[in-house]
Amino acid sequence: MWNLARKLLLHDRLRFAVAIAGVSVSVMLVLVQVGLYYGFMDTASSLIDASTADLWVGKQGNESFEFATPFDERALYKVASIPGVARAERVLMSFVQAKLPDGGDLGVQVVGIETVPGQRARLAPWNVVAGDPQRLAEPGAIVVDRTEYAKLKIDRVGHVTEIAGARAEVVALTSGIRSFTTSPIVFTDLRTARSYLPQFGDEAVTYVLVKLAPRADRHAVQARIEALPHLAAYTTPQMSARTRTYWSERTGVGAGFFTTAVLGVIVGFVVVGQILYSGTLQYLREYGTLKAMGAKNSAVVRVILSQAMISAALGFAVGAPLAIGMRAAMKGANLSVALTPELYAVTAGITLVMCAFAALLSIVKVLRLDPASVFKG
Amino acid sequence: MPAAVAINETFPSPAAHPATVARVVGVAKTYGSGEAAVAALADASLEIRAGEVTLIEGPSGSGKTTLISILGLLLTPTAGEVWLEGRNVAGLGERELPGLRARNFGFVFQGFNLFPALSALENVAIAIRMKNPRARGADAEARRLLDHVGLGSRAHHLPADLSGGQKQRVAIARALGGNPPILIGDEPTAALDTKTALSVMELLRELASTERRAVVVVTHDPRLERFADRVVRVEDGRIEAITHTGTRPTGAASATSPRSST
Repeated sequence: MWNLARKLLLHDRLRFAVAIAGVSVSVMLVLVQVGLYYGFMDTASSLIDASTADLWVGKQGNESFEFATPFDERALYKVASIPGVARAERVLMSFVQAKLPDGGDLGVQVVGIETVPGQRARLAPWNVVAGDPQRLAEPGAIVVDRTEYAKLKIDRVGHVTEIAGARAEVVALTSGIRSFTTSPIVFTDLRTARSYLPQFGDEAVTYVLVKLAPRADRHAVQARIEALPHLAAYTTPQMSARTRTYWSERTGVGAGFFTTAVLGVIVGFVVVGQILYSGTLQYLREYGTLKAMGAKNSAVVRVILSQAMISAALGFAVGAPLAIGMRAAMKGANLSVALTPELYAVTAGITLVMCAFAALLSIVKVLRLDPASVFKG
Repeated sequence: MPAAVAINETFPSPAAHPATVARVVGVAKTYGSGEAAVAALADASLEIRAGEVTLIEGPSGSGKTTLISILGLLLTPTAGEVWLEGRNVAGLGERELPGLRARNFGFVFQGFNLFPALSALENVAIAIRMKNPRARGADAEARRLLDHVGLGSRAHHLPADLSGGQKQRVAIARALGGNPPILIGDEPTAALDTKTALSVMELLRELASTERRAVVVVTHDPRLERFADRVVRVEDGRIEAITHTGTRPTGAASATSPRSST
């Protein structure tokens, strides 16, 4: 049946090319749209995912990771005193204005971390490509990402600027750390962050990051932290999921991307369905002849389904590399498209199902085909 | 002088004639109901015998195609019986009919109905595989059948590269796939020129004579009567006459060799 299906498809090469083009565009749209979505989600939770904290402690009721409500840092000591907590570190995050080289202002997201000489903080800059992030402990030291050059106009260590009117000197550059918001991330020491955010006072934090002691009962520690007034505690994966859910559902980002992906599937379905149906109509007398000669319906249906599966396979084979090309093109625009093996596998499955359903109309046509109709008809 | 026989030959028993391979008894086909009912065929009985060529003639709309459709198990009669493999199969459902058709019938059509994307060999082989998905050596059998009809040298040609006569020979080879005892042709020569048409009929005649197949051909062309053992005249949905021609062209009398490649 595969040979017959292949030859029927290839007999009209133009029509076959249109079918493959339809499936490949569909595949590419699904991969890119879903990949963009997961890329955005990866970006949204990148700070959380990059941390080495076992638990994130924040103010109860915080909905958004980026817009966390600050609380008194004395909570740090309460958390640190809970059995099972090996270490607790403070983090202060908020948005503030930075001075651009041309004199303009740009909103940036300050991430103030506790820097201890010789130790790596639970949340620290990663993918460092220039400079020394250990210098973050110096007053006014900042680390920025060079891919944000288009906004910050900073691409060298030693660049000096102003943040909230206070001096800021770039001591290191990273590559690939981007905020989900339009504001570039600026790492700095907690004390320097407080100088950029005077409205929060000297004792405010937005998060306390917890490192558990070996063999500590994570659930028990989490429960004891949550028993403290006005605090909530999440594991890193839980925190990551919360922020992804927030951006996906509360902002409609998820719906937007998946709607486009669904449209891509519909496009592929319609194109393949139309191509298969027109091909079936073209060979209706031949299919009828086979049925007249005793071919079972299942055999004729297999021919049509085989054509659908061939279209799916070839369309995927063309569409998948196209998605990789789109990813490369989007990287230049600082957009991350997360193409994972799982996404490829799911998309391949969707493509097969899409093409199988597209063949339904053709299948119904041949099932209803009266073999007697081949006589002159 | 050919002898005319009575209309609707009677059959005292299924085993009346040892060469009978199929028969229809009192079959009728009515389309629609009530005042809109149209009787395409009424009370038709006919025996099909091995080794015979039966020609079915009649004007357009006379019921010829309906008759062979019922005989070939492509159409369920409104009334009557269809005997095949020693039993009445008229009431069987679509689950059993494909197998019966595959074992007993090969069809040849006016328009050839070959897949244009497949070579001659592939067109014959696909029919063999469709009839019996477990068949081994379908390609070899297809080649043998093409050789049998004189087209072995055209096995890898597409239908577009073949003449009308060659295409019909491929269709005949395809119809022979699975070795059916009965071949049914619906105006198989209508799209061919005279010389080619006679050549195709020569081939069908030979299949009947030497291989003891029952060949049933629907035609408008009275020139083909010389190839037939019986001529069945159908008019207004009824068999009006069955004429035993008593003529069997010999190999020396035939105008062209059955293995010619036209």
